[in-house]
Amino acid sequence: MSNATTLQIDDPIIEVENLDFYYGSSKALHSINLSFPRRKVTALIGPSGCGKSTLLRCFNRMNDLIDISEVQGNILLNGAEVNSSSMDVIELRRRVGMVFQKSNPFPKSIYENVIYGLRIAGVKNKAVLDETVERSLKGAALWDEVKDRLHTSALGLSGGQMQRLCIARAIAVNPEVILMDEPCSALDPKSTARVEELIGELSNDYTIIIVTHNMQQAARVSDYTAFLYEGHLVEFGLTDKMFMKPKKKQTEDYITGRFG
Amino acid sequence: MNEKFRLRAKRNDRIAKWVITFGGMLVIFSVIFILVLIASTTLPLFKAPKAEIFAKFTLPKEPAQEILALGIDEYLETGFFVDRDGVFNFFETQQGLATDQLLAMPPDEDSELLSIEKFGRMQFGLFWNDGTLTLERVDFKPFFDAEQDNHRTILHTLKRDALFPPTSETAPEISIGRIGEEGRKTRIDLMKNGQILVQQIVVTETLFGDEEEETFSAVIDAPAQGMITALALDSQGKALYAGTEHGYLIHWSLSEPGEPELRDQVKAFSDGRSITALNLVFGDYSVAVGDAAGNLTTWFPVRIEENSAIKELKQIHTLAPHASKVLAIQPSLRDKSLLSLSQNGLLHLDHMTSQRHLLELGNHVPLTQYSFSTRSDGIIGMTEEFRAIIWKLDNPHPEVSWGTLFGKVWYEGYDQPEFVWQSSSANDDFEPKLSLTPLIYGTLKGTFYAMLFAVPLALFGAIYTSQFCRPRLRGIIKPTVEIMAAIPTVIIGFLAALWLAPIIERSLGAVFMSIVFIPVGLIIAIIIWQVLRRNEKYRGLERGYEFLAIAPVIVLSIAIATTLGPLAEDLLFNGDLKQWLFLEAGTRYDPRNCIVIAFGMGFAVIPIIFTIAEDSLSNVPPALKAASLACGASRWQTVWRVILPSASPGIFAGSMIGFGRAVGETMIVLMATGNTAIMDLSIFNGMRPLSSNIAVEIPEAPHGGTLYRTLFLSAVILFIMTFVVNTVAEVIRQRLRKKYGRF
Repeated sequence: MSNATTLQIDDPIIEVENLDFYYGSSKALHSINLSFPRRKVTALIGPSGCGKSTLLRCFNRMNDLIDISEVQGNILLNGAEVNSSSMDVIELRRRVGMVFQKSNPFPKSIYENVIYGLRIAGVKNKAVLDETVERSLKGAALWDEVKDRLHTSALGLSGGQMQRLCIARAIAVNPEVILMDEPCSALDPKSTARVEELIGELSNDYTIIIVTHNMQQAARVSDYTAFLYEGHLVEFGLTDKMFMKPKKKQTEDYITGRFG
Repeated sequence: MNEKFRLRAKRNDRIAKWVITFGGMLVIFSVIFILVLIASTTLPLFKAPKAEIFAKFTLPKEPAQEILALGIDEYLETGFFVDRDGVFNFFETQQGLATDQLLAMPPDEDSELLSIEKFGRMQFGLFWNDGTLTLERVDFKPFFDAEQDNHRTILHTLKRDALFPPTSETAPEISIGRIGEEGRKTRIDLMKNGQILVQQIVVTETLFGDEEEETFSAVIDAPAQGMITALALDSQGKALYAGTEHGYLIHWSLSEPGEPELRDQVKAFSDGRSITALNLVFGDYSVAVGDAAGNLTTWFPVRIEENSAIKELKQIHTLAPHASKVLAIQPSLRDKSLLSLSQNGLLHLDHMTSQRHLLELGNHVPLTQYSFSTRSDGIIGMTEEFRAIIWKLDNPHPEVSWGTLFGKVWYEGYDQPEFVWQSSSANDDFEPKLSLTPLIYGTLKGTFYAMLFAVPLALFGAIYTSQFCRPRLRGIIKPTVEIMAAIPTVIIGFLAALWLAPIIERSLGAVFMSIVFIPVGLIIAIIIWQVLRRNEKYRGLERGYEFLAIAPVIVLSIAIATTLGPLAEDLLFNGDLKQWLFLEAGTRYDPRNCIVIAFGMGFAVIPIIFTIAEDSLSNVPPALKAASLACGASRWQTVWRVILPSASPGIFAGSMIGFGRAVGETMIVLMATGNTAIMDLSIFNGMRPLSSNIAVEIPEAPHGGTLYRTLFLSAVILFIMTFVVNTVAEVIRQRLRKKYGRF
């Protein structure tokens, strides 16, 4: 199945070459080869435990937090090896932002949440901070709802607003890639619609890699889709093509809901 | 689910709810009950003194008899009065029926008494009209008659202690006498011309073991400050005080027989009002002065300048004033209370040190004569119509007031008002000094130093263990620290006092050098690390093994400090830091001091703070940590900006519970503080905290006594202190919790 990547991407932003990933002795990813197109939305789909979140977390090295994890193979961000010792993990995470499944705003004000990335980078200029807050919140389509209460606690927002705040926080530092790990799984349909809409808008400026369980969502928001199964990349291609006419039987079964 | 099962589940829920509610209530009630229990023991301290009229009757006297003195025994069963013929007329105190009479043998058959001076324990100086002075003593003794079914009667006897023959041709105005230790007898005569005659009879032992009496006489010239209006002689006959019509207070020492020495003469009152009554307060140190305006003050000599040998009489305490001239003052024989009678027949009972105005007697009927019972818990008074009134006093704690418990008090022999805790002493006339301020101060001081040591260590330890360390190590470290909490504090105290204290005393220089060298060593190590971490091999340490690199640095720093400590002491402090501290800095080094306490008590509170803080740090949702890291924060930035604020309620609660524990800690401080009740912030001496004070003194405190109740009061304070600390901690924790959301 390793020859699943038939699609050639020009000017990819992230290239994955022969990636193996281990949790201790168990292998979670099997020689993944994949390229992510720039300024497009790529969806990672697959049944639970197939390794899509693990793959996502490889891109900003969040797996480093897990003691027993081990990565083999190459991940290139704009041609630079992500896992090399010369890559500063802090710098990497600034370039590759992340939005989590469960919205996780800090117990601080909305304002402080948005500029967190700048604060830890040592930015103190008030004008820059204010400008960033406005830009990011507008970018996350949250500005109109919260502009009058920027200094109230972020924990007072609704679930959908919190998730959009997390997106604002991610884009505040102008990342190259935004990783989204099932961003809508905890949201109601209305909020989900807003976030999906937002993802479409963001793809004009950012490369977005989104993990989702929801086939319709993948079909709606993504340009490309990768289907993983048991740690193997089964199929990767243009979303429209893949959903209309999957090449592999497994993909078809999964998409049509025969398992998953 | 069937109906039956559903009902059973519901019933079980209800039962559980009731059991839990009951248990919780029980805990709350037992805490309140304990507080009420200890508080109720302290309440009598603040009860207003009461005088209950025990009996009232007309004295059984012949119409011609005059009453010169009154007295009553300690059981308030037998009273007596003395008439002009020197007859002691005894009566029982139920109806006032005369029982019998005892005669103080007059020097001549037709001698009459001029005056009587009452002093000491039922002692009377009888001054006869021929110039003779006799000292008589009334003794009461309970007697159990075996033949009459052990019927108890009080026997009384009259004993003559001394007889001074007339000293001069002309009769003196006033004559008083004392018999002191070693049979030393003193007679003081105030002559009409203002001279004072002093006669002292001293018993000496000759070479052959025979006793020999030697009589010394001296004359003190009439003082220039006006006529003497009041005289007072101490119980040993060694100090004589006089008050003059112009308000001067004069003090002579009669220690050297035959050579009275003028010690002091001060103008007591600037307006020159005359002194009308003088007496010595129990303990013969303070002198109580009553004046024509009705004021009652007490005086004793204090140093006028620091370190000077010269002492001068000074007005120390001012007691509640009378409305009219003070006629007489009688001291209590048990404490520093004074009973004073004014011209309008009002009797005041005041306590000198606490300056409490305890009682006012004779409001309805003016009194002319009065006397304390021998135990000073009863008073007999007589009105102009020869009605006797006997009061029984309920006045167990006259020396206690809020002022004496918490304020500065000017105790006898001190040069200024001070906070003193000294509950017992070797002599009987000692006054317990029960200021709780030094104890509260000691508690806070010990706690402060312990927290200074424990909080940073415990918190940094908790942060490292929860955020940086390998999870497997965390699984070892946490239970180990928690086991520390299980070490009996008596063992910690024992080690601190007997093992640690000598080490610190021996190597004080090294201890201070360590304070400098450990941070310096760490900074150097961090700089070296910045170079080393470029190597991938070493960087592995940053994944939770940093302590392996730090431990040798700390050990090395301490080793360097220990080596350099004595050297530095030699160079900077002439070889002995403790000596230098004493001579140059003026601080005394006690072997049991706050450094030892900080280590010992710190050791006891670290586990609590560590565990609670570690729990709350570990319980910060991993999502927050992940969010921060994903934003590009370093581990330390994440800890500082996200983890610590989120865990702050728990960290705060842990610190406060540690504080509460340190406040209540007893065994460690008991063993390692030296228990000196001083108020000094110096780290080189100890303290006496409330808790160990209770442990030390409660076995010696007589049940129901002032000390006993004061110790209970300090327990209440301790209780309230920990209660307040814990409540405040909980309130703040709830607020922080609200602020930082869901945790």
